[in-house]
Amino acid sequence: MTKPNKGTRQKLNQRTVILLVVILFVGFGAALSRVAFLQVVKGAELSQRAVEQQLHDTEISAKRGTIYDRTGRILAQSASVWRVVMAPAYFKNDQQREFVAKELSSILDLEYSDVLEETKGNTYYVSVKRKIETKERNKIIKLQEKISQKYDELDNVIQLLDDYKRYYPYNELASSVIGFAGDDGQGLAGVEYEYNKYLAGKNGRLVSAQNSYGTDMPFDYEQNVEAENGNNIVMTIDENVQSILEKYMAQNIIDFNVYNRGCAVMMDVNNGEIIAMATVNGFDLNDPYTLTNENAKEKINSITDKKKKQKAYNEAVSEQWRNKAISDTYYPGSVFKIVTSAMALEEGVITVDDTFFCSGAERIGDTEIHCHERNGHGTQTFEQAVINSCNPAFMQIGAKVGAEKFWQYYQAFGFSETTGIDLPGESEDIFFSEDGSMGIVDLAVGSFGQNFSITPIQMVTAVSCVANGGNLIQPHVVKQIQDDKGNVIKNFDSTFKRKVVSSEVSEILNGILERNSEQGGAKNGYVAGYKVAGKTGTSEKKIDMNEDGEEDYIASFVGYAPANDPKYALLIFFDTPVGGSYYGSQVSAPVFSEAMEEILPYLGLETEYTDEELENIDSVADTYVGLTPDEAVSKLEQEGLAAYVKGSGEKIVGQMPETGSMVPKGGTVVLYTDKESAKEKVEVPDFSNMPVYEVNSVASSCGLNISMKGASSTGDSIATQQSLPAGTMVSEGTVITVTFAAQTAIAD
Amino acid sequence: MSTEILRRKSNERQRQAMTSSNRNSSRKTPPKGRKKRYPLINVGMGIDLPFLIILLALVIIGLIMMFSASYAYAYYKLDDSLYFLKRQLIFAIIGVALMIGISYIDYHYLHPAANIFLGLSYIALLIVLVLPGENGVHRWIGVGGYGIQASEFSKFAIILFFAHWCSIYYDRMDTIKYGVVPAAAVFASTAFLLLLEPHYSGIVIMLLLTVTMLYIGGINVKWLGIAVVVAVIAGLICWATGLLSYAMTRMDGWGQALEYTNEEMWQTTWQTRNGMYAIGSGGLFGLGLGNSRQKYLYLPEPQNDFIFAVVCEELGLVGAIVILLIFALLIWRGITLSLRSSDRFGRLLGIGLTSQIGIQVILNILVITDWLPNTGISLPFFSYGGSSLVMLLAQMGVVLSISRHSNIEKT
Repeated sequence: MTKPNKGTRQKLNQRTVILLVVILFVGFGAALSRVAFLQVVKGAELSQRAVEQQLHDTEISAKRGTIYDRTGRILAQSASVWRVVMAPAYFKNDQQREFVAKELSSILDLEYSDVLEETKGNTYYVSVKRKIETKERNKIIKLQEKISQKYDELDNVIQLLDDYKRYYPYNELASSVIGFAGDDGQGLAGVEYEYNKYLAGKNGRLVSAQNSYGTDMPFDYEQNVEAENGNNIVMTIDENVQSILEKYMAQNIIDFNVYNRGCAVMMDVNNGEIIAMATVNGFDLNDPYTLTNENAKEKINSITDKKKKQKAYNEAVSEQWRNKAISDTYYPGSVFKIVTSAMALEEGVITVDDTFFCSGAERIGDTEIHCHERNGHGTQTFEQAVINSCNPAFMQIGAKVGAEKFWQYYQAFGFSETTGIDLPGESEDIFFSEDGSMGIVDLAVGSFGQNFSITPIQMVTAVSCVANGGNLIQPHVVKQIQDDKGNVIKNFDSTFKRKVVSSEVSEILNGILERNSEQGGAKNGYVAGYKVAGKTGTSEKKIDMNEDGEEDYIASFVGYAPANDPKYALLIFFDTPVGGSYYGSQVSAPVFSEAMEEILPYLGLETEYTDEELENIDSVADTYVGLTPDEAVSKLEQEGLAAYVKGSGEKIVGQMPETGSMVPKGGTVVLYTDKESAKEKVEVPDFSNMPVYEVNSVASSCGLNISMKGASSTGDSIATQQSLPAGTMVSEGTVITVTFAAQTAIAD
Repeated sequence: MSTEILRRKSNERQRQAMTSSNRNSSRKTPPKGRKKRYPLINVGMGIDLPFLIILLALVIIGLIMMFSASYAYAYYKLDDSLYFLKRQLIFAIIGVALMIGISYIDYHYLHPAANIFLGLSYIALLIVLVLPGENGVHRWIGVGGYGIQASEFSKFAIILFFAHWCSIYYDRMDTIKYGVVPAAAVFASTAFLLLLEPHYSGIVIMLLLTVTMLYIGGINVKWLGIAVVVAVIAGLICWATGLLSYAMTRMDGWGQALEYTNEEMWQTTWQTRNGMYAIGSGGLFGLGLGNSRQKYLYLPEPQNDFIFAVVCEELGLVGAIVILLIFALLIWRGITLSLRSSDRFGRLLGIGLTSQIGIQVILNILVITDWLPNTGISLPFFSYGGSSLVMLLAQMGVVLSISRHSNIEKT
């Protein structure tokens, strides 16, 4: 139409060139440089992120390691369970949603409405239920088949993923030591927490690329990184010893109405292995969030405010999980006199021949401090001072040691530091001052273990040090780490910290403390057949926790055996017994005695009976049935047992005690020659508070056998427990086990 | 409006014929174009073979890449890996046939029809507004299961109108009356209708096309400067009145697709981020044709706007450069052949239609690399979409028709 005009044509040419430059150089240049930047400069990062995303859903859970006790019994174990996941994005209509929700909720015992709500999402991953077991899993597999038959497009709507669940076969046993693991397999308390990095293992990855639906992509960059199962842990704990201890501890908590639980620690004095560590009452490791303390439960239920209720629950449950043996601090009381003695002897400020005078009180500056024996102990040798647990004598000994040396030994025995035991939550001590300086009153009361706080584990470690010849050893609860096939990865041998006292001092104290448990304040801790050393302790808590208007006490006992070659130390600790008795000698020493009587033979320590003890040893009844009365009587005489024939038959048809059951030394076996006489019964008398001789005479008058336990060889003992309650009707000859305890309990 | 322009145009022409007599002898008589009768079917000097070859190459590469990008998505979502390929192939055949057909029609017939096309564009933009939209967005006119975006047609109408207008008033383009007012009126009215849809990327493309056409049409550059200022002010007003709310939600997270700020933003930027993962995974040489991993449902709708990300992942930087070079060749050839067209209308129309391809390629790549907000701009010949492919090829048919009257060397 228009003929090209030179000016406008040139302008068009010019502008077209500019346009081309803008589009091809500026525009395309910018686009290309941006693409090049992303591909070359950022390429590695972006492709890494893409790969991570493509592999995201394919983690394989590692199996958490097993925890064994020292003898190979399983304390904690992970078993295969499954997780049910759903991909609701596949659902095409509400009919499908309702069908699946209905089936799932009935199999998994879930609320139908909740599951239905979950089916309405538009994602490919909803966790429906975790930790289902084989039975439910099989039902889910059947459901998967049913769904895919019914609806083609729902083939992958329900999936089962491998998972693991933690089981604790012994429930409450050693609960505060073993600890427990959370739902995701992370350790939350105890050894489970402390050794989590060994136990947890490494989750694996199935490195096959997947699309965002979670199904495989048709590429061959599959690469399998297997899950590395966690390592197994062998603890130093012995399940049998632990359960013996817990049994007696639990009984004692009922008998003495202990308000704030108790704990016990048994340690190998030579290598620091913790053979047992119990906080009683514990909790079920399979159900750690349920409160076991009825009082606490009631208290919480009575709170109406929701927030306060939650707070109270949180406090109660963390109290329940608390390992008292390492987390509680307490005034050690008279048990600490072992340490004071050791430092005084080591420093040479006293000798075993020194005498100490007790008038019933000691004046320190302006303060008068009483002895538990208000009338005074008079003049005593050092050994007598220990056996009397005399406070004035120890104040004098403390004064001789002096504040500076006292602090030095306090540190040397490891009280100023944590023991370093391989458990979480160990508390620190509270001394009079941070720098160790003490006033004279501080030194006086500190000498008998008052007004400074330490943990039970520190106490048992220090006592072990005295017992083993003066070496401070670090306590530990884990012996070995193994891989999942049982090959040893790491051994935890004993960790020697330092030499604190000489073996001579150790030997002197072992002797004194042995005599203390034979005839002194610790005689309720006496164990028949073994030489044990022991020391009682009763300490004030200076608070009134249970609000009964009276100050609270800790009743404790520390002992070790054998006294001439110490192997095991055991500390028994009860927090606030409110049943009347609260002295360590009454509350804690009998537990030591009863538990050790079962534990020491189990641990293979040889018995060494005194003649007196030999008389009380039980034997096993043989079979006398079928013999004539004469034959039976002569057989029994040979065995050192008495016979009592009942009835007029010609042959023995029955006997009591029965074949294979225990009969006390010198006891009587009742032999029945006819069935009529076997039916006769006698009533079990009430032996409580009777001294030994009276128990024997009452029993023999009823025709019953008595097996004696506890402090039966000392003159002032009385019966405290009997195996069958008074009033029970039993056959003549039945063996009743009666436990004795010293009546004149030392009030330290 | 169109009738008014027509009226004004004839007045203008008469005046022009009178006033230009002493300046230019050729203007003494009314323009020949008005009188000359063109045959409807015109082979002219034959079509430009290089342009056709480059174009067909792009269509074929585009089809291959569209299939590669889409088959996983089609398989999982629609149970048919070939779903998108089959449809796109049919439209490509229809489109190429249409293109060849249009190339035989003399493009001069579009000159007087420009106003009719503009009118049709307005009608189409109004129709979509009364049709029920999708998620409150009105863009598509549906025909038996297939739809066409009204704006696809509008783009052509705008290019055609300005080619028409500027070729008539080429010597008065620096006046407000001829250079600015009609352009502003046409652009503003179209943009307003697009705003109602809403279709912001359409407005952006419309603006760039208008500017391009006015620039090569000879407008005084100062008016463009002023237009930029006006546009900024208008933008601020839209911002203040909340009209931009839809675009704003799309612009949220613009430039920060790779950084996690919050869950909502992370979801919003999902597509852009996964597009960038795909680009980055390609590296220099790519994972190989068909080997994209990101297309396995990580990158939503990989066959649409983000297809170039899959291209980059599979063919690498080298492949991306090659494809951009082919586009550049097409644009180069299209513009140079248009420039050698026998008349101003043909030159402007050809340059405009070819530039449109370039503008879309640039915008598309800047969007998928997170330099522009993710507003939905497809990649010509590559992105899935039957109507847009047919429309594009039809417009390339017009360029081919122009090439028949170009004196460029065609072998």
